[in-house]
Amino acid sequence: MLSQHVSKNAAAYCHGELSSEESKQFAEHIMSCATCRAEFEEIKLGIKLAEQLPEIQAPNHIWTNIESRLKQDHAVTRSSPRFSRPTYAAIAAVLLLSISMAVFWLYRDHTALNGQPFWQVVNLTGSPTIGSSGIGTNGRLAVGQWLETDGNSRAQIAVGSIGHVDIDPNTRVRLLETQPTEHRLELAEGKLSARIWAPPRLFFVDTPSAVAADLGCAYTLEVDKTGASLLRVTSGWVELQLKDRESMVPAGAACETRPGIGPGTPYFEDCAGEFKSALEKVDFESDAQTRSQSLTLMLQQSRPRDTLTLWHLLARVDGDDRVRVFERIASFVPPPQGVTREGILQLDREMLDRWRLVLESSWSNHTLLPKEVGKAYWQVKNGVDQRMKNPATK
Amino acid sequence: MAEQLIEGGVIEACQRGDREAFRVLFETYKDKVFSIAVYSSGGDRSIAEDVTQQIFLKLFTAIQQFRGEAEFTTWLYRLVVNACLDERRKRRRLLSWGDVLPMSGPINKKPQEKSYARMEVAEAVRVAIEELKPKFRIPILLKYIEGLSYEEIAKAMGCSKGTVASRLNRGHGQLAKRLSHLRNHEVLND
Repeated sequence: MLSQHVSKNAAAYCHGELSSEESKQFAEHIMSCATCRAEFEEIKLGIKLAEQLPEIQAPNHIWTNIESRLKQDHAVTRSSPRFSRPTYAAIAAVLLLSISMAVFWLYRDHTALNGQPFWQVVNLTGSPTIGSSGIGTNGRLAVGQWLETDGNSRAQIAVGSIGHVDIDPNTRVRLLETQPTEHRLELAEGKLSARIWAPPRLFFVDTPSAVAADLGCAYTLEVDKTGASLLRVTSGWVELQLKDRESMVPAGAACETRPGIGPGTPYFEDCAGEFKSALEKVDFESDAQTRSQSLTLMLQQSRPRDTLTLWHLLARVDGDDRVRVFERIASFVPPPQGVTREGILQLDREMLDRWRLVLESSWSNHTLLPKEVGKAYWQVKNGVDQRMKNPATK
Repeated sequence: MAEQLIEGGVIEACQRGDREAFRVLFETYKDKVFSIAVYSSGGDRSIAEDVTQQIFLKLFTAIQQFRGEAEFTTWLYRLVVNACLDERRKRRRLLSWGDVLPMSGPINKKPQEKSYARMEVAEAVRVAIEELKPKFRIPILLKYIEGLSYEEIAKAMGCSKGTVASRLNRGHGQLAKRLSHLRNHEVLND
């Protein structure tokens, strides 16, 4: 009897990334499994092709541009006396005070820091704790430590120099990492509100059912006792991910996640209640009939703005359901030239994206949302990947 | 594993603001960074130049924060990944599909006929790579242009090693499907 198929390890095997035991099992399996052997040959071809990619020589003027930019920045700094003498004195005083306070706190609470990087925490109300100690008016959250708030407490965390996170009552968060390349919190339970002004993908929040990756934004994220979460984006974009399942959520929209499943489909929060309830079933129910009936309700309740959700669903439903979704979207906004019904039903990536670009104008028309935010690139990768393995027939 | 391309003292000198040391850093990594930027931007060299410039400017302003070369390389590749993804998002509206500028030839210097054949295959691969989704394209570029291990790619992309293995497997599979007609090409069977 054949052991479990191993074709998913083919690239790792070729690249020497498997352990000795795994490599041995792989080699033994493909000797006796024609399916895996055929896929292995495909991967080998793919590797030979990728090896043909040449390195491309960068043009010399890139350094010239960089150098002149650095000189400009340096010249601006030197030639712009922005502050008056009294202001310099004030800054110096603040710095001296800050250094003194830093030294004081360092020696006062050395065991909490223990040489680890940390984030500053401000007590907004009540008695937040770090570890088992109350933080008073200020605290420091070191890597590995938990910050907890009770029913009467709130706190604010400074995320390095790239933003801040407000912690609501009854919340537990832990600092997992703080480096120039990555700042990561764990939200075990409760609610936080983040405001990040860094380049995308520097700030992450791990929850039991997805990882939220900031793409330059403001949002709230809430985790309940079951590990399910609700993300609400107020500015910019947030990506939710669990393994290969991803959703990109724009401002004005929300997205739910479930443990073991990951992120659902984004929806605008001003949608009809029945639409939202039905979406929950489509996203997280396993029974096909329930999902299909819920989809019927969604289509009945949908508005032009809800094409945000419907567009995502194209890749998350199949067969007749996909046809119905297509027809509903088309009734609001016909596919543009070059985008065909057949192409969309086959989940042609280019056609999906072209139609999305046209649909975005109805997604950007939100009172809280600057129009340019709606133009950001995003897609629902998990649905497209899975459905492309089994494209629907017409 | 990524090759140790620079001596340890170069990072420290950069951290002290030594412009010449930064020039050494730039010269060491510029072709790799530029290559990934070109392949990520559909062959558009002007975009790739902008992206490369941004990456090194960011690197110069933040290099004081690093404690050793291992962190530096992880951060550099993370910068490259994010910069390429962000540029693609920004220009997705402006750059219509198929709007790809022709690339200049690769660096390899081979006898003329062989060189042409290699360029032919390389161009076909480049186009096929461009058609991959970013999550499949970027690990392939990091593997073959930067020479990173799966663990290093995982750190650069902010995902697990298992995810990297899965994406590389699928990316290679898609490449093979799109370019199956090159299976018996002389260049691949040297």
